[in-house]
Amino acid sequence: MAARTFLVVDDSRLHHQMYHLIFARPAFEGAMLLHAYNGREGYALFTAHPELTAVFLDLNMPGMTGLEFLERRRAERLHPQVPVILVTTESTPDDEARGLAAGAWAYLRKPFTPEHLESLVAGADGRGVPVSHRK
Amino acid sequence: MTTLQPDHPFAALLAEFVAESAPLAEAVVERALSLERSWNRGEEDEETHAPLKGLLHTVKGNSAMMGLAPLQSLAHTLEDLALLLSREPGVRVAGGPLLVRGASLLADLVRGAATSPLPAEALRIQIEEIRAFLEGNPGAQEELRTERRQADQRQSDRRHSRQTVEISSDGAVSTIRVDSARLDQLLDSFGEAMIAHAGLRDALRPIIGRRRAGGEATQVEHALLGLERTLKRLEGALMETRLLPISTLFSRFTRQVRELARGESREVRLEVAGGDTRLDKTIIDRLGEPLVHLLTNAIIHGIEPPEERTRLGKPAEAVIALRAVQRSDRVLITVTDDGRGLDPERILVKARALGVAPTAERPSRAEIFALAFLPGLSTAERVSSLSGRGVGLDVVAGSIRALGGQVAVTSEPGRGTTFTLRMPLTVAVLRALLVQVNGERYALPLADVAETLRADDRAIHQVARQGMMTWRGQVIPVVDGGEALGGDPVADRPYCVVIRSASRHRGLLVDAVLGHYEVVVKALDPTLGRPPAVAAATILGDGRVACILDPGRIGERPADAAKDAAGAA
Repeated sequence: MAARTFLVVDDSRLHHQMYHLIFARPAFEGAMLLHAYNGREGYALFTAHPELTAVFLDLNMPGMTGLEFLERRRAERLHPQVPVILVTTESTPDDEARGLAAGAWAYLRKPFTPEHLESLVAGADGRGVPVSHRK
Repeated sequence: MTTLQPDHPFAALLAEFVAESAPLAEAVVERALSLERSWNRGEEDEETHAPLKGLLHTVKGNSAMMGLAPLQSLAHTLEDLALLLSREPGVRVAGGPLLVRGASLLADLVRGAATSPLPAEALRIQIEEIRAFLEGNPGAQEELRTERRQADQRQSDRRHSRQTVEISSDGAVSTIRVDSARLDQLLDSFGEAMIAHAGLRDALRPIIGRRRAGGEATQVEHALLGLERTLKRLEGALMETRLLPISTLFSRFTRQVRELARGESREVRLEVAGGDTRLDKTIIDRLGEPLVHLLTNAIIHGIEPPEERTRLGKPAEAVIALRAVQRSDRVLITVTDDGRGLDPERILVKARALGVAPTAERPSRAEIFALAFLPGLSTAERVSSLSGRGVGLDVVAGSIRALGGQVAVTSEPGRGTTFTLRMPLTVAVLRALLVQVNGERYALPLADVAETLRADDRAIHQVARQGMMTWRGQVIPVVDGGEALGGDPVADRPYCVVIRSASRHRGLLVDAVLGHYEVVVKALDPTLGRPPAVAAATILGDGRVACILDPGRIGERPADAAKDAAGAA
């Protein structure tokens, strides 16, 4: 299997380090992690990497939010084969629905554990097909 | 002591959690305070209010990810409170103080999350209070209860360290966790008791002296001696409680070394030994940074890339060994790498360029390596983007000395480098010789005093503007106390204290020798300027402050410092 590459878009350094720890686990051996610290940076990296296995996109970011990211991607029809996972919190169920409507493959609600993330990625891996329409 | 389960998947990120979340929580406090002021004046302040929810939301999310559920729920109720206050102008004056209190508690707890256990009781009371307010009956009765709760909370804040009590199988309490802040308070109080004792002893000295002359041991003297013995026992017990295994510090290096090595494309294994060696918490807290400097240096400058190592016939994977061992009242910590070692030629060339090279024509290797601790002698050609620091060894040496320790280096070109840190077990209480110079009193660590003599002017000779004298068959430099401490030199001071240092002794001329004291060390504010020879301060029996001198740096010139470091190896 080709090396898997993941993109994390989050404005929190703490969260990047959490992803770092999670992707250092055996389940993700050999995986590569790209880091973006805001929506725009994330979108640029996303544009440059059609081979991404999945994207973890934080909902709340200054500048470009996760929803704006998804909407722009849908408008530009950019890499629809890449599953984008919207990272939300329990107090934003409306946004989760909106995110899925805007093309998120799934949402991951904070607080999540490494196991949550692993099983989500296993699902995205198995699919490997455009899933932007699913709810 | 942390608030997290050690097996929590993100336990290693606790410091990062604090670094990211504390400023957010502090911003919440600031905004809450400013809102409270506006509301009390009957003003709206939507601009301040609007971002509150986002800040609290982030703190809540971070706490939740870290598994810090109580912080999560405090942030959550504060979020609700902020929302209510923005919707209901009528309850703002009543709710403002609650918002401020809750936010302050949140900020305190976030800041302390890496070091102190969460005060479950205080948190519960605060959350309950906010919830009661949210349910909407803040009557007069409630205010009374609030008062009482605040009192309870202060109580429980004071008590919270007792909350985690480990009970052994036979039901007896075997271990009590205590907030480290509490231990610091205890130490401060003990320090005050020592100061009071010194004051008492000074005040009673004339009486005791008179009696003694008459050959009669007085009750006063007995009582004083009893008090001294008790204080000594108390000191021992107190110091014992402050000792922590150094593994609390070492454990975090494994990951750091791995990441740094990866970033530098080096293969490095960190071997740790002696993790159960115990040291004062203060020292452990402050040793982290210099040790990180040394490890970083080893990886960036010491260890060769894997290909080069293979070519040299070394294993591709380098080993850095971090060891701690206790030797009487000192702890030795060594950082050893099997890299390329220090290049004595290059250090010497640089030292000559800076004019700090030893005067000897063929300085020993130890003398040369010791030069590496002087400012500006880092031979590194580049500063790593990863370490992002100057990684100057002079900085390392400075922080070690500030803790009363010494650092030395030995190196075998091509074979590796070993840094040795000699640290005291405790930094809190010091046996000192009190001396007086130009009307000021100074404390010299007794361990570094070799002898006290009456100074004889005729015995001091000026050689190249440096006073020298003969002491026990050797010629040692003599420094005027006033000059060494940034004051005026005086021609004839009556006493000379011979200070022991690693390579050679040194005389310090003083006006008076006041006797032996046990002093409690108080750290100086690092932002204040001070003569280099001053290490810390203490408070004397009469309440006056005296500087504690760093004997290694009295009358220091760069080359001397280098010699000392060499000798300490």
